[in-house]
Amino acid sequence: MENRLIITKYSDQYYPPTPNNFTLFLRRSIIVQLFRFMVLNYKIIKIVVKGHS
Amino acid sequence: MANIVVLGAGVAGHTAAAYLQKGLNKKDHKITVISPTPTYQWIPSNIWVGVGRMTPEEIKFDLRPLYKKWGIEFIQAKAQSFFPEGDDQIKTGFVEVEYTNEEHKGVKRKVAYDYLINATGPKLNFEATEGLLPGNGNIASVCTFGHASHAWELFQEKLDKMKKGEKQTFVIGTGHPTATCQGAAFEYILNVDFEIKKRGLEKQAEVIWITNEYELGDFGMGGAFIAKGGFISNTKLFAESYFVERNITWIKRAGVKKLDDHKIYYENLDGEYLEQAYDFAMLIPGFSGHGFKAFDKTGADISEKLFAPSGLMKVDADYTPKPFEQWSIKDWPETYQNPSYPNIFAPGIAFAPPHSISKPMTSKNGTPIFASAPRTGMPSGVMGKVTADNIIHWVKTADPTIKHKASMGKMGAACIVSAGYGMRKGTAATMTVSPVVPDWEKFPEWGRDIKTTMGEPGLAGHWLKWLMHYMFLYKAKGLPFWWMIPE
Ligand SMILES: Cc1cc2nc3c(=O)[nH]c(=O)nc-3n(C[C@H](O)[C@H](O)[C@H](O)COP(=O)(O)OP(=O)(O)OC[C@H]3O[C@@H](n4cnc5c(N)ncnc54)[C@H](O)[C@@H]3O)c2cc1C
Repeated sequence: MENRLIITKYSDQYYPPTPNNFTLFLRRSIIVQLFRFMVLNYKIIKIVVKGHS
Repeated sequence: MANIVVLGAGVAGHTAAAYLQKGLNKKDHKITVISPTPTYQWIPSNIWVGVGRMTPEEIKFDLRPLYKKWGIEFIQAKAQSFFPEGDDQIKTGFVEVEYTNEEHKGVKRKVAYDYLINATGPKLNFEATEGLLPGNGNIASVCTFGHASHAWELFQEKLDKMKKGEKQTFVIGTGHPTATCQGAAFEYILNVDFEIKKRGLEKQAEVIWITNEYELGDFGMGGAFIAKGGFISNTKLFAESYFVERNITWIKRAGVKKLDDHKIYYENLDGEYLEQAYDFAMLIPGFSGHGFKAFDKTGADISEKLFAPSGLMKVDADYTPKPFEQWSIKDWPETYQNPSYPNIFAPGIAFAPPHSISKPMTSKNGTPIFASAPRTGMPSGVMGKVTADNIIHWVKTADPTIKHKASMGKMGAACIVSAGYGMRKGTAATMTVSPVVPDWEKFPEWGRDIKTTMGEPGLAGHWLKWLMHYMFLYKAKGLPFWWMIPE
């Protein structure tokens, strides 16, 4: 397989962080994401509530 | 009796009309909505129409039965000229409109008002970039449901070619040196990439982001800082990481000047004139006002009193030119009231911002290349609501004091960046910023409230985006308790 890092050496694409398998697992896990869904809803509601006077 | 006219039935106009009819007795007051099309479309879901995940029918509906139920008069026409002082026949202000329906197409009419809400959004200024018109060769757009539907047809052609083993280059981003709405293009590129990979065609595809942003993740709001993984980092990192993970490459600081069927011609901040070959392009056009004219009661042209040079409407912003370092949230409007004619309001994209949020940059050849200020759906809806609330208060009390305010320097915004459709395999980044315009006085460290400014990728984001699609269409359709759903 072509190695992205060899190909992109010294270009902008070489430097950014990439998620590891654990991070990808967390992003896809139904249980974790159900919990995050509730947290995100709460955070959005907080922004909405203080939106205007 | 108060006579209220709303121009435009998009996020800001339709929200304002909905709250006006809720707050005012229709026997005593008249509400009229004027819009060139009788449909309401939930624009954020155009992204899914553009990749074939939704049909235009799923994201739009006919406003006429709803307005009939609500006692709102609907005129299918486009506004052309404003007469805020009336003329020798009409003593109140009026707008001159031209019908766009089959029955009266081209016929002009004067519509008088006591209060006017100009919520006509942006003119999608495709003409400002040579060759950009969607439908031209390999060029698509997702700015309207019609454009998005065409984008999906074109995308399918390219998918078929890749299935036959042909290589295809997809270039998505901004199509004008000072375009805004990077978020929409960002969503589209991620969805296009998702669909290509879902079909196992990634070997045939090269996916490239082209942007006028100085750095990725600027999104026209000067980027944002978010706390994640033990660091506080800029959205530049977040956007770049998203692309690197997907093997999407990017061209930044690029002002697209011209397109032909196979090449995009752009200038960068270094002043170089470069080309990028493509087989499929979806580039967001520049936004401008609609070219409205305004006249006083003698017939003299007073367009400059109502409109900024961009053609967008002047409101209670501070338009004094000043250097970037002196910009403040106080420059941003909070009532959306025109300073010369206080009974005219311009919520949503229709108002002229005092300046951009991102730092203006100019190429070595003097071409401005930077992202203009975005006004996303949530602030547009909030502005529509406060405008309605202020007019209701004025009508009911005869007191013109403006009670309700909503500045982009104070309110936050949530934007769910879809990156792939699917209840199990979908993904989206939930982004919130608070406030939209950074307030360096109140938040000297990061410009925004670091507790409520965030960016989080994951499956939950897709559920949120999907939920919002149905929730906001429910609200727009005026179904029971619609008003309990916030903007
Ligand atoms: C593809 C895409 C995706 C997006 N995704 C998101 C997202 O995920 N989240 C988010 O918050 N925002 C998103 N946005 C931005 C959001 O759609 C806009 O902020 C919002 O639509 C602005 O509302 P508005 O009422 O000012 O303008 P619009 O919604 O554009 O409404 C303008 C209205 O005025 C009418 N009009 C035009 N000319 C005239 C005339 N001459 N006379 C009378 N009426 C006229 C139009 O027909 C329309 O009804 C997205 C935008 C695009 C293009």
